[in-house]
Amino acid sequence: MIADPAAWQRTSPFAIVFFVGKTIKGFAQSFAQLLVTFGALAVLIRRNPYLFLLIPLGILAIIAAGVLQYWFFRFAIQEDRILIRQGVLRKTSLDLPFERVQGINVERSLVDRMLGLVTVSLDTAGSGAAEGQLPCVDAALADLLRTRVGTRHSRRHADGFGDDGESASGVAVDRSTRDMRGLIGARREELLKLTGGDIVRIGLANRNIVLMAAFFGALGQLFLYGEDALRPAVESAEAAVAAGGDLARTIFFAGLIVTLLAISLALVIGAAVLRHHNFTLWREGTTLRSRAGLLTHKEVVVETAKIQQISVSQSLLMRLFGRYRLQALPAAAAVPAEARDSAAAGLAEVLEVPALTDNRAEGIRTRVFGREGDGLTVLPGSRGFARISAHFIPVLTLRISLVSALIGAVILLAIVGSERALGVAVAVVIWWFCSLPPAALISWLKWHRHGYVYTGEGLANRGGFLGRKVDSFLFRKVQSVAVRQSPLQRRKGLATLHAHLACGKVTVPFINHGMACCLRDRILYRVESSLRWL
Amino acid sequence: MTGSPGIPDCTKTGTPVPGPFANPEIRPDSLPRAATVAWQPLHPRYAKRLQAGALIRIGVLAAVVAAAHVTVLIAGFETLSRIAVWPLRILWALCVLGAVWAVVKPVIVVPRCGYAVREKDILYRSGVLWQSVRVVPFNRVQHTKTDSRLLDRRFGLANLTVFPAGAGSQKIPGLGTETAENLLAHVSERIEAEKPQTADDSC
Repeated sequence: MIADPAAWQRTSPFAIVFFVGKTIKGFAQSFAQLLVTFGALAVLIRRNPYLFLLIPLGILAIIAAGVLQYWFFRFAIQEDRILIRQGVLRKTSLDLPFERVQGINVERSLVDRMLGLVTVSLDTAGSGAAEGQLPCVDAALADLLRTRVGTRHSRRHADGFGDDGESASGVAVDRSTRDMRGLIGARREELLKLTGGDIVRIGLANRNIVLMAAFFGALGQLFLYGEDALRPAVESAEAAVAAGGDLARTIFFAGLIVTLLAISLALVIGAAVLRHHNFTLWREGTTLRSRAGLLTHKEVVVETAKIQQISVSQSLLMRLFGRYRLQALPAAAAVPAEARDSAAAGLAEVLEVPALTDNRAEGIRTRVFGREGDGLTVLPGSRGFARISAHFIPVLTLRISLVSALIGAVILLAIVGSERALGVAVAVVIWWFCSLPPAALISWLKWHRHGYVYTGEGLANRGGFLGRKVDSFLFRKVQSVAVRQSPLQRRKGLATLHAHLACGKVTVPFINHGMACCLRDRILYRVESSLRWL
Repeated sequence: MTGSPGIPDCTKTGTPVPGPFANPEIRPDSLPRAATVAWQPLHPRYAKRLQAGALIRIGVLAAVVAAAHVTVLIAGFETLSRIAVWPLRILWALCVLGAVWAVVKPVIVVPRCGYAVREKDILYRSGVLWQSVRVVPFNRVQHTKTDSRLLDRRFGLANLTVFPAGAGSQKIPGLGTETAENLLAHVSERIEAEKPQTADDSC
């Protein structure tokens, strides 16, 4: 167990694997950088084969960097805060008071699970300050952290921290005990568990299936080129096919396609199982937790009050299955660019439920938004959505067709050269005219998808193209609001409303200008009369 | 405003609201309107500062083009100078157009920008064709800063930026140095006064 958490200590040596992974990830973050590196390396090796030795040296260097990072990573857990010191050349030290910790996320890889270790991430508020991550620590330490953070939060409430100046002390005490229970985990309520059927549905609805098909197509092309190597197999297959005539040939190709399809399906479903196996969502006091994964257990913890926005999306296939995908976006989901360094990147966890029915989605909405969310829907199919103005269609049509014409012009100019500029111009104009009907169709579809619902407390905005997505939020969580008008919108009395939240932006395009201003004033009223948004 | 419909417990939908609680109905037309504020213009020198900045950039571009032109002329390659004629002409034309635009644009744009400070929020409007009005409530502002670059200081100007949580910060450029400092002090004071309670005080 833990000897003395307040003393400076290192994590388990297995954290070296984590740090090596992080270094590689850091390299791979810039794809262009990686490409240039490998390109340069390939050229150099062709020039001088001895440079081949650089590769093991590089690997050794990365491992050494991992070991050094592990060696210099120390942390201490005090009564009310956690201190983390890290860095080999550039030393950083992080002092994180537990009061500022929003959530404790725990991830266990396969190795972690065999060794009884966990990787703990501490989420902080959306201001984008440094966030802490403890790789490969004892599982008991995660529990200790949870307990400390829980007591800290509750002590703050017990001190009689008011709520908009309207709550009596009794409420605070009540809440403190609730928080205590919530963070320590005495009361659990299971909200949702994914069934095997749901996981298969997720796999089937995966967009990567198209990519996979393209990949196999490319692979097939590759085989045609690399025929020499495969000649015997291909020849025997060809001989068999030729012998059997047309029917056999058809069967052969159909079989090939079916096999490839089966392999793709197995891959996507396998990936879904790997990621979402045993997905459970439960409520513990004021937090929502999810845990999933076959090999790597991933646990996401989000405080309900920190959730800024609920996004429910549905792709075409998921619509066929009658399932939705829900994301609860907490405040820290969008960290400002200047604060995003290697330590903080990718930490703010979005709680995602990959497949759920409409009732469950509404249930989660009720839990997160409470009574303020009454009348607000999160379902794309619900009837209450008001349409946006149809002037949206010609504007989008024009935009899409112009962009396609511009791209066409650039490509044509690159191919035929500038000598035949007149011909290019004529071709582009024809291309532009031809692109108008499909662009109009796309625009109509997008217009058809757009819609919004508002109540006195919140707004739900629907959008999408083939799939559908609804972003819903409470007015009091808004950070700033803007109303924009293009020249055409001004003439038609329309406007576009932008609501900036701590997790991103919600845009309601082409609504009545008066309505936009009214919504803006309503949002401002709610924001300015409420201090709670976290 | 007293109408905050505090719902202390949004996880238990059925529980009654504890404590004294008021939630008067608000008629939509009685809400304070953001459309009818008195806009403060940006500093008159801001247009000149934008012109100067743009002209300097155009000057650098023109210098590069001139250097290229001279190189082509001196090198005297027959084919190169023949090929380079049109690109050079286009670049020179771009320089001239850019210079004209650099002078004209600020004159059009700056008078149409403006800001307004209300008790609880700060507004900024901008745009000539695509007009936009953005409102940032003080009780959502995390921090604020003023900055002035070399050119700004030359014209006695400064920029004020307010940062709400998330990615969308709002910059109000082209303020007089003194105005910017006063605004910074005022905004900081308002932020302090309207400070939101963080974490867990709500449900």
